[in-house]
Amino acid sequence: MAHVVVENLSKIYERGKVRALWNVNFSVEKGEFLVLIGLSGSGKSTLLRCINRLVEPTSGRVFLNGLELTRLSPRAMRRVRRRIGMIFQQFNLVKRATVLQNVLAGRLGYTSTLPSLLGWFPKRDIQRAKECLERVGLLDKMYVRADQLSGGQQQRVGIARALMQEPELLLADEPVSALDPATSHSVMQYIEQINKEDGVTVIASLHFLSLARRYGQRILALRAGEVVFDGPPEAIDDRKFKEIYGEEAEEVEIR
Amino acid sequence: MKRFWAKIRAGVWAGAAALRRRATALWEAGRGFLRAYGWPPLRRAAEFLLAWLKALRIRVLPPLLDLVFLGYLWLATSIAVSFAATGRVAYTLLSWEWFVLVVGVTGALWSAWDQTLGLKVVRHRLSPASPGMRLLYALFWPLFPLTLVTALVDREGRSPAEWFTDLRLVEAGEARPRRWYRSPTGWLAVLGLGVSLAAAVAVTRVDLRAFVTRFEKTLKFWRAIFSPAWDQAGLGLKLLVETLFMAVVATAFAVPVAAALSFLAARNLMRGPLPRLLYTVLRVTGSFTRSIDAIIWAIIFAVWVGTGSFAGVLALFVHSVVDLMKLYAEQIEAIDPGPVEAITATGANRLQVLRYGVIPQIINPFISFTLYRWDINVRMATVVGLVGGGGIGFRLAWYLGAYAFSEATMLTLLIVLMVWSIDWLSARIREKLA
Ligand SMILES: Nc1ncnc2c1ncn2[C@@H]1O[C@H](COP(=O)(O)OP(=O)(O)O)[C@@H](O)[C@H]1O
Ligand SMILES: [Mg+2]
Repeated sequence: MAHVVVENLSKIYERGKVRALWNVNFSVEKGEFLVLIGLSGSGKSTLLRCINRLVEPTSGRVFLNGLELTRLSPRAMRRVRRRIGMIFQQFNLVKRATVLQNVLAGRLGYTSTLPSLLGWFPKRDIQRAKECLERVGLLDKMYVRADQLSGGQQQRVGIARALMQEPELLLADEPVSALDPATSHSVMQYIEQINKEDGVTVIASLHFLSLARRYGQRILALRAGEVVFDGPPEAIDDRKFKEIYGEEAEEVEIR
Repeated sequence: MKRFWAKIRAGVWAGAAALRRRATALWEAGRGFLRAYGWPPLRRAAEFLLAWLKALRIRVLPPLLDLVFLGYLWLATSIAVSFAATGRVAYTLLSWEWFVLVVGVTGALWSAWDQTLGLKVVRHRLSPASPGMRLLYALFWPLFPLTLVTALVDREGRSPAEWFTDLRLVEAGEARPRRWYRSPTGWLAVLGLGVSLAAAVAVTRVDLRAFVTRFEKTLKFWRAIFSPAWDQAGLGLKLLVETLFMAVVATAFAVPVAAALSFLAARNLMRGPLPRLLYTVLRVTGSFTRSIDAIIWAIIFAVWVGTGSFAGVLALFVHSVVDLMKLYAEQIEAIDPGPVEAITATGANRLQVLRYGVIPQIINPFISFTLYRWDINVRMATVVGLVGGGGIGFRLAWYLGAYAFSEATMLTLLIVLMVWSIDWLSARIREKLA
């Protein structure tokens, strides 16, 4: 049984009547690294958010370990979200909070409401937060405010926050688009490490095809909300590339 | 028909005559005081003025309450009608000039016939309930909404309600900036201003010569100003503390109420038809209540619960709640949705999302707005005191009325000192928070 299965998924945004996704089908095996590519506006963010239902799909089904997520109550969905980490293009840290507080927030799904509202976390969660920060090399920045960090460092805090969730699935929405090339690779390597060492399934959207080729085991390409390619990176030739990105596009290298 | 017009004419004449009588009586009374008491007439004059203001309060309050009540009623109706007609919660049926006109005229007519909510609240009937007086009343009240001439200053022709909320009272397509002379409001305002000015000049009998011929009479006043009554310092300090407490209490009670309401008045949190309705009602009521000055609230409460610091606190409280609600809600609307999304994605529940995604983003602005409001309240506490809201302002008004200028100077010094230091303090703290 595949880890994640997406069946006939469509999303139409009522506001503006945008057909963001149309009849998307694919599945991801456990431990796979799937990369989503496509022009901006092709529906990558929407697809990722439909998986953890930050965006409610219009129709279609999503399964995780055979469990149909699209049928779950909000409460049950919150329980499932605990095992789905997510990182974002704009990092989405709470800027005024410290790095440690941001990382601990990843644990909220496991913490009972009242203590967490008072800001109390169990000792082992704090211990765990330190371990996660150590893993992304930011232990010394624990008590620094998040907005004092560089972009790459902020994204690593985002990764640590996702790690706190002990995820089985990691969704990454253009995690390196706001970063320069060198930093991009360092951040991508952390994600790759989580995929390889912890066996976490990763679905990441990436802007550059070169990055997708370098890190993806499999590539899924979207155009105007529809899947136009699903296969190994090597299979994307010049013709396929033009089909995904349009006739005028030129492939850019990012090192 | 003829008889009807004749009646109206008679009413107008009677009204005009009454007004003339009143103005003459006022003037004669003033002259009488001057003549009877010779050199120190100002004390008497001040007493007289105070009594007159008190009478005015009874005269002004009922129509004021009527206008407020009708305003709310009108807003509720137009929201309901637009909801029924378009299925949207919007306030777009009539332009605001019409709103002002209709509420003003209705309020005036209603007040003129003596059976209004405002009058019931104040339990006062117009003393000479002659048809003429009533008609005069009806004719003059439409001038009242002229307090809204602020709208003229706005280039885009928006009404005050639109500045304070992001509601649009006219459909976007129609909302073209208009020159003041091309809008009915503009003409209404100019007409009203002209009439008021003429009336004011006539009633107060502007006499520039008096500046020169009567100067020596004010010498005592100037002398008193520069010799504060130091023995009043103890009492003044006590009153100062009372005033400060008025501001603290009003702010402290307003903050939780405003904070709770602000979440319901934040557009980005209120999605869906029912929440949107609540949002609109809160925003519209809020801006309406806000546009009524704290002084007027103080007058209302002074009548309601009696003069004293409680009335002052209530006035400040009401004004602070709606003001802070708006400031807070705007802050909530301006938050970055990213962290909220990220915290939601971790499987946190709504309260946790609020605590970790929303509150960290708004806490500092909230504190800074609260301090800012407290700062205003300290100043306002003095002012509402002047109209019966207790505290140092009340005593100041009393001293002024009693021609006790040395004492008044002392209190003024203390007020200035307090306002300065609070200003400085709150600016310092807000600087730190930024
Ligand atoms: N909240 C929304 N409301 C309406 N339309 C949206 C919303 N979010 C995205 N869209 C539209 O859906 C399409 C897909 O957007 P998105 O999933 O963000 O694409 P990508 O992440 O590939 O750039 C775009 O046309 C976008 O304008
Ligand atoms: Mg996107």
